[in-house]
Amino acid sequence: MKFKIPSSKVTSLVLLGVLLITAVVFVVMRAGPLAPVRVTLAQATEGTLTPALYGIGTVEARRSYFVGPTAAGRVLRVLVDVGDTVKAGQLLAEMDPVDMDNRLTALDASVARAASMIAAADAQTADAAARKELAAISARRYLDLAQQNFVSSGAVEAKVQEQTSADAGARAAQANLSAAGQDLSRLKAERAALVQQRQNVRLLATQDGVVVARDAEPGTTVVAGQSVLKLVDPTSLWVRVRFDQGRSAGLAPGLAARIVLRSNPATALAGKVIRVEMQGDSVTEERVAQVAFDVLPAGMSMGELTEVTLNLPETPRTLVLPNAAIKRLDSEVGVWVMAADGLKFVALRLGQSSLDGRVQVLGGLQAGEQVVVYSEKDVGAKSRIEVVSSLAGAAPKPTQAQAKP
Amino acid sequence: MISLAGRDILHSWSKFVFTGIGLGLLIGVTLTMAGVYRGMVDDARALLTNSRADLYVVQKDTQGPYAEASSLRDDIQRSVLGMPGVARAANVTYLTMQVRRASTEVRAMVVGVEEPGQPGAPAYLIEGRHITRNHYEAVADVKTGFVVGDRIQIRRHTYDVVGVTQRMVSSGGDPMVFIPLADAQEAQFLKDNDAIYNDRARTAANPAFNRPGVPGLLEAVQASQSSNHNVNAVLVQIQPGWDAEQVAEPLRRWKHLQAFTRMQMEDILVAKLIATSAKQIGMFLVILAIVSAAIVAFIIYTMTLGKLREIAVLKLIGTRDRTIAGMILQQAMGLGLIGFIVGKVAATIWSPVFPKFVLLEVGDTVIGFFLVMVICALASTLAIRVALRVDPAAAIG
Amino acid sequence: MTEIGIHIEGLSKRYGEGDSAVDALKDVNIRVAPGEVVGLIGPSGSGKSTLLKCLGAVIEPTAGRMTLGRDVIFDGAWKIADLRALRRDSIGFIFQAPYLIPFLDVTDNVALLPMLAGQANAKARARALELLGALDVGHRAKAQPSQLSGGEQQRVAIARALANQPPVILADEPTAPLDSERALGVMRILNQMAQQFRTAIIVVTHDEKIIPTFKRIYHIRDGRTYEEAGQGLTL
Repeated sequence: MKFKIPSSKVTSLVLLGVLLITAVVFVVMRAGPLAPVRVTLAQATEGTLTPALYGIGTVEARRSYFVGPTAAGRVLRVLVDVGDTVKAGQLLAEMDPVDMDNRLTALDASVARAASMIAAADAQTADAAARKELAAISARRYLDLAQQNFVSSGAVEAKVQEQTSADAGARAAQANLSAAGQDLSRLKAERAALVQQRQNVRLLATQDGVVVARDAEPGTTVVAGQSVLKLVDPTSLWVRVRFDQGRSAGLAPGLAARIVLRSNPATALAGKVIRVEMQGDSVTEERVAQVAFDVLPAGMSMGELTEVTLNLPETPRTLVLPNAAIKRLDSEVGVWVMAADGLKFVALRLGQSSLDGRVQVLGGLQAGEQVVVYSEKDVGAKSRIEVVSSLAGAAPKPTQAQAKP
Repeated sequence: MISLAGRDILHSWSKFVFTGIGLGLLIGVTLTMAGVYRGMVDDARALLTNSRADLYVVQKDTQGPYAEASSLRDDIQRSVLGMPGVARAANVTYLTMQVRRASTEVRAMVVGVEEPGQPGAPAYLIEGRHITRNHYEAVADVKTGFVVGDRIQIRRHTYDVVGVTQRMVSSGGDPMVFIPLADAQEAQFLKDNDAIYNDRARTAANPAFNRPGVPGLLEAVQASQSSNHNVNAVLVQIQPGWDAEQVAEPLRRWKHLQAFTRMQMEDILVAKLIATSAKQIGMFLVILAIVSAAIVAFIIYTMTLGKLREIAVLKLIGTRDRTIAGMILQQAMGLGLIGFIVGKVAATIWSPVFPKFVLLEVGDTVIGFFLVMVICALASTLAIRVALRVDPAAAIG
Repeated sequence: MTEIGIHIEGLSKRYGEGDSAVDALKDVNIRVAPGEVVGLIGPSGSGKSTLLKCLGAVIEPTAGRMTLGRDVIFDGAWKIADLRALRRDSIGFIFQAPYLIPFLDVTDNVALLPMLAGQANAKARARALELLGALDVGHRAKAQPSQLSGGEQQRVAIARALANQPPVILADEPTAPLDSERALGVMRILNQMAQQFRTAIIVVTHDEKIIPTFKRIYHIRDGRTYEEAGQGLTL
């Protein structure tokens, strides 16, 4: 090896080289395969949680009524428009009666004709009765005469036969009269039915309410059952809320609710769960509950989306951890505990969780144990870690090969 | 014996150092390009590792969900869950889209996940908490620039960022934003209002759906059009003790499903998705290597030309050819060494600022070092040839 | 130390073949005893350079015999296998210009040859310092060649030529760039060194200033040498 007397030039160059190499080594140690994983720790502390259920709801009307005709027809006129308040019994719309009025007139004429027919039958009855009377008298007289042998038996038979005929005639006339009377009844009933149908052409409001849809305009042909107008009782608006099946433990009627309308996100309205539907939704895996407003706000629209939060009763004091600390290893749920010789995975029994991200720990952990909350990457039992106070904002992107945990 | 090369370097150190810096920047670029490739492969691996799935169940005859589009009905998840060996199965959707916060837009991969703890959801956070509500909450990767408390806009809804995670990126390097599955399905499928009105009008104009004798038909059809029950994949975790292939085979025998194991998915991503980029980068590396060799050759050649007289004198007074060749070779390799150190430091410094994820592996560094040395040695042969051809007699007269 | 010094007999050098052949040297005979300094004078084109190159074992003569020190180095063909080692160990060169290696300091320039010959660095440097001291440039031992004056550089070059204690020194116009005082000084040193180290020195020159200092002079014309007694002026 040469033994040099160092010159300033050489010294400075060597210094530069050393500086460069130090920089490289520093970077490698800081962010390379030898760099430790930075984590933050938290202590498991005792506390209570206020779990809450959260769901998205739609404002709907509890009762809504579709007003429409019972027979196919054409809409003649619609008297109200969307937004109008109507009272029970109010005429809302009318269908075109078409030929009903003419048919009524025809039936009227038929009824009159039937009455005339009755009069005629009546007269015929009188006539037949008179004939019967005469025939009876004649027959009696001839019988008397036959007893005295003043007339032939043939004549007596003839007169008896006349009497019989006259009886039959009287009976026939009577029957005619009845028939004419029944005919009249029938026609009267038909007329009454047509009048009722004519009434049905008038669409009346069955309740007080507000018109929310006008589905057919005058001139439109609608079939039986199709709605012309939709009415809604504005005092019956409530929120139909859907909750995730998996996150709906404790859902029961009577829970107090906070309702936030999409149109007014700054204000939270108070409400209550009126009903929890027995019929859930198996496709979306949701349960449905109906939440009523304590005070109905003005100016709400149906179909508006809301966010509903139901507060469940506070849990008793247990250990509480942030949910960022909960990890899964194989099939167990637990946390990584900071032990003296490294990290240890401890399986836990978890209880309820709150919407702000804290979870009850029912078993597996002691108070005061330090657990890993935030980490730069997945940690394992063999990871080298470096505890820092916060990872946010200061995390450098790793540039060297990752350590295999 | 003293080192002639060392003395020469010290004597004209400025020329060496500046050339070394220039060469170093070139080598830095080369190392960075190799790092970009490794980063892409690592992105792909991180994507698969972070999805925490042992099996990826996708639409039959596709190589999705990352390399290709795949669409499944979301109730298939329940059938998969019932298969032997399956411990957990979760639906997941992926869609790369623009996510807005105030006035800035970020390109992100929006991932629809079931609950935290299921495959597909992020396993660790660096800030905040996991999603607790079933709608309108999001966890974002730190590369998006979002922080806890931000309100971001995805399609029609505004989401609260409740947690931040790290190194959750798509295979293309886009950061991920995790939202509840139902919201993601709506975001992926539901269009803007104008399109919805148009669709409704089109359906209403279709006499098959708009029959006067069947009230309620049109509404029912329109309602079915505006819901989405598709997902991109079902991620499966298998029970301990089971082999992934063992669980995958029965799934594949179903008519409309394809199942990939982790290894197969890695192969798809790395071999197929990254293949084109790998070729591009490979070409770049070759070109850069050639350019570096050319630079070293040129510099050393020029320096040697400037020393021809000294070389003649040295040869004349009795210096071996071998010693002279060694001097030139050492100079070339010294240049390479300076260049490599400068390049490595430069690459390490500018890598975090690079828009794509750069992964500088130790193995690559070592290989790079040897390659640089070999290239310098080869580049010096031109100058060595010149030096050896110098006639010592030229020093006399 | 050797007895013979330089002995050249009947040396000839032919370039080319056939009709275009050129006989640069036809019949050269030179004898220099150890400790002697002889001059070699001739016009340009006379074959001076060729002769130096032959003597310096960088080109191969066509015919003749060369003896350096004790060894016959050429007799129709090279008799030494490693000519470079021969140059390194047995021949010292002094050129027209100092031709110092610019990236080595003065001491290392002189110590280079002994180091190349295998001597330990410390020993080589000690020897170099000795020589530099003897040549009166010891105080510049640590300087770079570019920092020296022309005369100082020349003296370092002489030290370099002597460093390996060669039996022979070939000097090619060593005083050309110098003024008469410096030139005579150089000749003085050469003679001193020749005496001290028993070296045979041939000085190729046409410098009028120093020709009178030689005791013997060889003239070379058209490839042939002619001996002449010199004035032998005392320095």
